Amino acid sequence: MTTDTVAPAPQPPEPERTTKRRFVIPERFFTLQSYVALALVFVLSVAISPRRGGEILFLDTDNLLEILRQVSEIGIIAVGMTFVILIAGIDLSVGAVLGLASTGVASLLVIDGYGVLPAVLLILVIGLAFGAVQGTLTTFLGIQAFIVTLAGMQVARGLARIWSDGQVIGIAYGGGEGTVPDGFELLDSRTFNGTIPIPALIFVGVAIIALLVVRYTVFARHVYAIGGNERAARLSGIPVARVKITVFAIAGLLSALAGIIHAGQYNQGDPNAGIEYELDAIAAVVIGGTSLMGGVGSVAGTLAGALLLGILNNILLLKNIDSDVQLLIKGLIIVAAAGIQVFRPQQR
Amino acid sequence: MSHLLPRSRGLAALATIGATAALALTACGTESDAPSGDEPASQAECQGPDGDYLIGMSQANNAEPYRVQMNDDIEAAAKEVDQFDVKIADAAQDSATQVSQVQNFITQKVDLLIISPNEAAPLTSVVADAYNQGIPVIVLDRKVEGDAYTQWIGADNEEIGKRAGEFVAKELLPDGGNVVEIRGLSGSTPAKEREDGFAKGIAGNPDIKIIDKGDGDWLLEDGQAEAQAMFKAHDDIDVVYSHNDPMGQGAAAAAEDAGVKDQIDILGIDGLPIPAGGLKSVETGELTATFVYPTGGKEAVDTAKQILIDCEDVPKTVTLETEQVTKENAAQIYEQNSTE
Repeated sequence: MTTDTVAPAPQPPEPERTTKRRFVIPERFFTLQSYVALALVFVLSVAISPRRGGEILFLDTDNLLEILRQVSEIGIIAVGMTFVILIAGIDLSVGAVLGLASTGVASLLVIDGYGVLPAVLLILVIGLAFGAVQGTLTTFLGIQAFIVTLAGMQVARGLARIWSDGQVIGIAYGGGEGTVPDGFELLDSRTFNGTIPIPALIFVGVAIIALLVVRYTVFARHVYAIGGNERAARLSGIPVARVKITVFAIAGLLSALAGIIHAGQYNQGDPNAGIEYELDAIAAVVIGGTSLMGGVGSVAGTLAGALLLGILNNILLLKNIDSDVQLLIKGLIIVAAAGIQVFRPQQR
Repeated sequence: MSHLLPRSRGLAALATIGATAALALTACGTESDAPSGDEPASQAECQGPDGDYLIGMSQANNAEPYRVQMNDDIEAAAKEVDQFDVKIADAAQDSATQVSQVQNFITQKVDLLIISPNEAAPLTSVVADAYNQGIPVIVLDRKVEGDAYTQWIGADNEEIGKRAGEFVAKELLPDGGNVVEIRGLSGSTPAKEREDGFAKGIAGNPDIKIIDKGDGDWLLEDGQAEAQAMFKAHDDIDVVYSHNDPMGQGAAAAAEDAGVKDQIDILGIDGLPIPAGGLKSVETGELTATFVYPTGGKEAVDTAKQILIDCEDVPKTVTLETEQVTKENAAQIYEQNSTE
């Protein structure tokens, strides 16, 4: 099948603006939904939070920063996942790529004696390339993203295990053979006057960049257009293949970034890290109001979704609610979030 | 909110200063075992028998019977102390979850933290955080790196393996014989220690040979499959040494199938006082012997009492003794250790 980029007539003259009008308005509406849900969970958490000595423990500054730290990895991955889902794709490989990246960065630093910067850059490139290959396969071979990334998940996990011989690679500091340059330790828990966790800062940075990309770039408009109607997007001259590959590459890059943070936070490269992270990321995206059918949704919604999950996790732990019950509550919230989407105007 | 925080922190600081002063005046506590240098201000928390104490217990996972027993032991022992309120959290084998859990206990301002870490490296820094903020930390069974904790309580796996080996060398096969070994999960430290210890235990008797080893991954099913294969491959097995009771129970079932149950002895380790545990298996003759791997739950609560109520310093390490269990004493030990 050939794509004819000068296809004339039946399409409206300015397709980009049309797609904007058709998809962006409901997107804002549903982003609002996730904000309301987030605010609700926040207020509820304040209300039921345990207190000690008159202080609401949930609102403790350290606790709020801790929530940000806890969601940082899933949040970063979920940003990439949002773009993938916006083009009606899915990426199941993100958790395994996180495992590969954590193993890889630990191996480069501990065993191969790399400096922090080259090791981190190399791992980011690997993540980017991994995503790009998946994007290429799904775009040019026409295999569904679900299948390509399911395979990618196995491949990344396999690579991670081969890289480290199936072992966890411990990261130690303090100089001498087999230790890691101190700079990497910044990722572990806290720094900057001992309060703000660096993983949380990186998450906020990624979030801001993503929000700017969505707001100001042609690329983002192309993403929405492809998700809304890929055929129409192609006919209107949008470089569909390039955009799709880029989207998967971004997802791979962000997963690798999360993997590097994971290695730093837990002082080890673990080939088995990140199992089920893809599901948490998808949950954040869905709660954020992005439709799995593509074209509708927002990064802002995803960020709200990720924070909602983080707050929920935190308050349930603070209340010492049984972890099995936590799963149940999380499940109910995901179903509720997806259920709200039924009321999307264009789907009625 | 923003103006509330500093005030309550100020109050906390005042309280801490007050408590420290009070302690200094009454000279509460002994100095015997105190590690020198940067000992955190945990003693300042000690309000003695008049306080109410929230204890956070972070468990690596609630899926293994051994760990459920540890929780039960802690809860049973804590019930005896009116001042203690224990919250147990399950990390479900996930170190990241466990880090969040410990962080949450810090936020809850628990008076003492008990932790059985899922993995050492990932938990080290958050445990150190808690310890450096003045929360006494008792580490159970598995360790963390460094020494930023108050006390480690655990049993010596190598010693237990050695006791099992000596039992074989002296009592079961004094004239020599053939042993097969069913190991725990490959790469896990208890499996290696129980293997090394056993080798030392039988070393005194050169006529004992280990003719086969296999991995049962701590599981009954895998232990059974491994034993089945061994019984097919060898017809001269005298003793099966299994790194835990469930794999030994699996081996017993395999021996039954192979029709060799009467000719061989099967040894396990752990000796949990639960209906499906090793003590019952020894009582019924399914296993010849087992060796109690104590959970340390009761001991952890004892330490908590020493720190919080008696205002005492505690030793850095407590190594728990094992107990050899045979048909003669199985019922009695079950009675002693059961928390039911």
